[in-house]
Amino acid sequence: MQRKLSIMIGLLVLVVVLVVVLLMVFQKDETTQEAAVIGEPVEKEAPVKQIRVAEQVPGLITPGVWDGQVFSMNSSIYEYLIEINAETGELDPVLATSWETNEGKVWTFKLRQGVKFHDGSDFTAEDVKYTIERTQDPSLGHLKKTDFEVVESVRVVDDYTVQVTLKEARPTFVYLFTDYNMAILSSEYDYASLGESKPMGTGPFMMSQLVPKESALLKKNPNYWAEGLPKIDQIAIYFVGDIDASISMLESDRVDVVPFITPEIQQRVDGIDGISVISPYQEQRFISMRVDEAPFNDNRVRLAFKYAMDPKVIARSTAKMELNDGVFYNETPIMNMLAEYKELPLRERNIAKAKQLLAEAGYPNGLSTELYYASDHPFGKELSQTVKELAAEAGFDIELKGYTRDVYLSQYWLNVPISITGWGGRIDPSMLLSLAFKGGGPWNESHLDEPVLNDLIEKISSEADPDQRMAYYHELQEWFYNNGPLINVQVPYLVAIKDNVVGYRQPLTMLPQYKYMDIL
Amino acid sequence: MKRLMEMFLRRLGSLLATLVVMSFVIFLLVEIMPGDVAQMILGQSATEEAVAALREARGLNDPLLERYGRWISGVVVGDLGDSIYMQGVSINSILWRKVGHSIILAMTAFIIFVPLSIFFGVLAGVKEKKPTDSIISFFGLATMALPEFVSGVILITVFAVQLKWFPIVSVIPIGESIWQNLNIVVLPALSITLVMFGYISRMQRSSMISVMNSDYIRAATLKGMPRRYVIFRHALKNAMLPTITIIGMNMGWLFGGLVVVETLFGFPGMGSLLMTAIKTRDVPLIEACVLLITVIYSVSTMITDIMYSYLNPRIRYQGGQK
Amino acid sequence: MKYFFYQLKKSPLAMVGIAIIVFWLIAAFAGPSMISFTHTEMDSMNQMAAPGEYGHVLGTDSLGRDILSRIVYGSRSILTVALLTSIFSTVVGILLGFSAGYFGGRLDTAFLRGMDILMAIPPLVLSMVILGILGDSSIASLTIIVSIAFVPATARVSRGVLLTEKSQEYVSAARIRGENHLYIMFVEILPNTMGPIIVEATARFAYSIMMVASLGFLGVGLQPPTPDWGMMVIENKPIIAQAPWAVLFPALAIASLVIAISIFSDFVSKVLIHER
Repeated sequence: MQRKLSIMIGLLVLVVVLVVVLLMVFQKDETTQEAAVIGEPVEKEAPVKQIRVAEQVPGLITPGVWDGQVFSMNSSIYEYLIEINAETGELDPVLATSWETNEGKVWTFKLRQGVKFHDGSDFTAEDVKYTIERTQDPSLGHLKKTDFEVVESVRVVDDYTVQVTLKEARPTFVYLFTDYNMAILSSEYDYASLGESKPMGTGPFMMSQLVPKESALLKKNPNYWAEGLPKIDQIAIYFVGDIDASISMLESDRVDVVPFITPEIQQRVDGIDGISVISPYQEQRFISMRVDEAPFNDNRVRLAFKYAMDPKVIARSTAKMELNDGVFYNETPIMNMLAEYKELPLRERNIAKAKQLLAEAGYPNGLSTELYYASDHPFGKELSQTVKELAAEAGFDIELKGYTRDVYLSQYWLNVPISITGWGGRIDPSMLLSLAFKGGGPWNESHLDEPVLNDLIEKISSEADPDQRMAYYHELQEWFYNNGPLINVQVPYLVAIKDNVVGYRQPLTMLPQYKYMDIL
Repeated sequence: MKRLMEMFLRRLGSLLATLVVMSFVIFLLVEIMPGDVAQMILGQSATEEAVAALREARGLNDPLLERYGRWISGVVVGDLGDSIYMQGVSINSILWRKVGHSIILAMTAFIIFVPLSIFFGVLAGVKEKKPTDSIISFFGLATMALPEFVSGVILITVFAVQLKWFPIVSVIPIGESIWQNLNIVVLPALSITLVMFGYISRMQRSSMISVMNSDYIRAATLKGMPRRYVIFRHALKNAMLPTITIIGMNMGWLFGGLVVVETLFGFPGMGSLLMTAIKTRDVPLIEACVLLITVIYSVSTMITDIMYSYLNPRIRYQGGQK
Repeated sequence: MKYFFYQLKKSPLAMVGIAIIVFWLIAAFAGPSMISFTHTEMDSMNQMAAPGEYGHVLGTDSLGRDILSRIVYGSRSILTVALLTSIFSTVVGILLGFSAGYFGGRLDTAFLRGMDILMAIPPLVLSMVILGILGDSSIASLTIIVSIAFVPATARVSRGVLLTEKSQEYVSAARIRGENHLYIMFVEILPNTMGPIIVEATARFAYSIMMVASLGFLGVGLQPPTPDWGMMVIENKPIIAQAPWAVLFPALAIASLVIAISIFSDFVSKVLIHER
């Protein structure tokens, strides 16, 4: 008995030792493999200028089907024809040096010469043609398919000139090329099989090492076309599941930048020396009511709902900010910061009026409905609970249905009575109107199909005269104010950043511009 | 020895049968999940035709049995397929690195909690109803009652936030391996240790008490043998027996604990990978992780069973008779 | 029963345990009506208020929700799920374990194989995967799935106690009397095996509280705004530095309930085993 026991314990120890040794061997193999991936010996002497970023765990990353996460990675590897200048809001030429149009129907782009893809091939007009035509590839499910359906033909004039002819006039067509899914791809690269594992473009940084679901290391592109850019040698990106962990890494000096943080975290970081929170732009949260079904098919119910809201309380309890100081509120699809915005009076909270409207609509004792939202999206939980509480006083008994963002978007969104969805801003709001508020639009969450509105949206996208276009925009916003099924809460996009990282730029397109950033 | 061999083979046979059935159950479970995988990959704005094309390309339109056959025949030869999100990146290249990390974490916890809880369990058992016993028992009860994430949060607050001895988040810097960063293992391992300590020390204590009260120990004490000698030569080896089973039985909790702890600390292991896979609905990755956990868990249960019956001739005899 | 109270008087620890359980039961039934805040009400002026401030006995979280009322509301869901889970898994366990043990033969073999398969996945992993896949956890789905994960354990215990009773004389006597199988199993044998089964059921109760809390932590438990203790801990973890009470109190609630039930379970096993 005694002996058996000691044999067993001995065996156990042996097994443990064996496992440890095996692991060591196995782990060593892996590191040599990793070194092979990098393809060069790690230089320890020269100080490497590196910015470390904690991002979310990415889903699909191939441009076209990219779900809009890990912006720091894709925006550094890929480039666009045009980008938005984060400081002035103007269009900056990138891969296109100039563009012109006659009446918005035929567009001619002059391209930058001497640009090379990371694999060494030259960037030419063929690549632009490929990128545009790829949007219509039926096997791809390109996210910009509807927007580019207006393209009739793409003609390669010469190696550095492309002419795009549209089926009808689109005076703001050029803005489409700033969209994050419109990165310019190489016509010779196999994105179908390599897009997820070896992303490749013309950007200021190149993928050096990608550990799936864990991290990515990007190195400076030595052949980058812009003189003196990028300013840093590499970007190290960690894919971290939750925001709390990311911020802990920031606090313990393991990363320098954490994008997409919540207001709660902002308060926590505020007191720490050497870390600041910046807000490069505003994002929208659309609270949408579905109009083709009871109860919200009755405009009085929609108005009652809007009368029950209190913008000040919403601002404070969702974002811990004051109204018009970080958080904005309106009842139209146009953000307060845009030139197209028309200032309409803020609706005062009026519970009596809301109850009266509900009674007139046939709900004297209030009504029950459901609100769906993404529980893991910044501001999602906070906003939905605030809305529920506010609406309750007017007689809306709202059941909250929170799901993780992927489940929410793939299974519930677009088919529910009330939804809260995050919408990025668009530099040209017409892009958003036809997506979300026109009959037949792919993301028409409120199921709107009003002839007046459809007509207005059509006029906005084809009107060449800017003043007339503005007039249409104002008309549209008044329509929404009086009849619309929408509340638009604009919340800040927050980035926590170390003070020694300078030149952080991220315009409304959500694409951070790491080439301008430097670390001291 | 022959009996043992026979038993081992029989257990191995039933283990394989279990795994085959289990693999089918896992596959079925994950495949029936609500929502279309193709739709999920392409997102909400995808057109019908794009979804249909992708379904066809990934073979999602084939009958269930055929898909299962394809999957399992890959698994048998060690090919776990591709992650949904990472086309061209095999699951093998994601999974094994993380499995290695998890094993290191589990081993560390194991090395800490097994001797610790046996020692304190024996101590409490020997000093039954004395202050030492009460203190150990209450501490065991308290740690057992705290789920891993609660004790983990406490450990983080004390050792990572206040004292700054260990990192809050268990992240391996890019280009380094876990061996250069062993300090990230400590806090997660301690959270697991606390829960397991409670269970095992309590079991060790009660089996020690029952052994100490048994006739032959009393006889030995009455014969005038030194107490120390009685405890270590006679009581301990008998009291260890149930503990081994308890450790084996608690392997299930250990795996559950791994998932929780890895998620809490952001430890790059199998548990947090499974959690990410579930959140992003990465079907092949969920299947691979669950299957692997099942295999490791079943094998460890089998080893405990065999060890137990080897150490305990009575059971072995019964086992042979059945 | 008399013996039970006699033992209880002798064991102050068990009294504390029972007192805590009774406290939580009262809190779950009557608590919400005794607190001036509801669990979702947001006091937006007093976010992260410290315990005792502005009438918030245990403080508020980052949304200004009263921690006390959230814990009290949370006790409802966690007690409901844990209680139902331990009852369901015990009942199903008895049905399965008894029939397998009683009839023996092929049925028993099939039972053992089935349990082997279910036991091949750790309970937490099993529940987490299923709940994560379903994506929508309610009290009902949580109860059913956790019960399924627990059935192998309860069924094995039931089978084990039945096997020890089966060879008793009163069983053969009943057989000779010509009683039917169901009668023998549930009227003759069951009362005699209640001791170990109750002990197992109370232990399950503690396990399911841990399990529900852990599932809540992993984000696959009850969905907001239903307050769940595990979820509260993790939801407030980011503000642990500014508002430690928001994490501490739900954690204490979990711990106190599990400790109390474990003490109770120990006590029950002591009493029932002595009784026999």
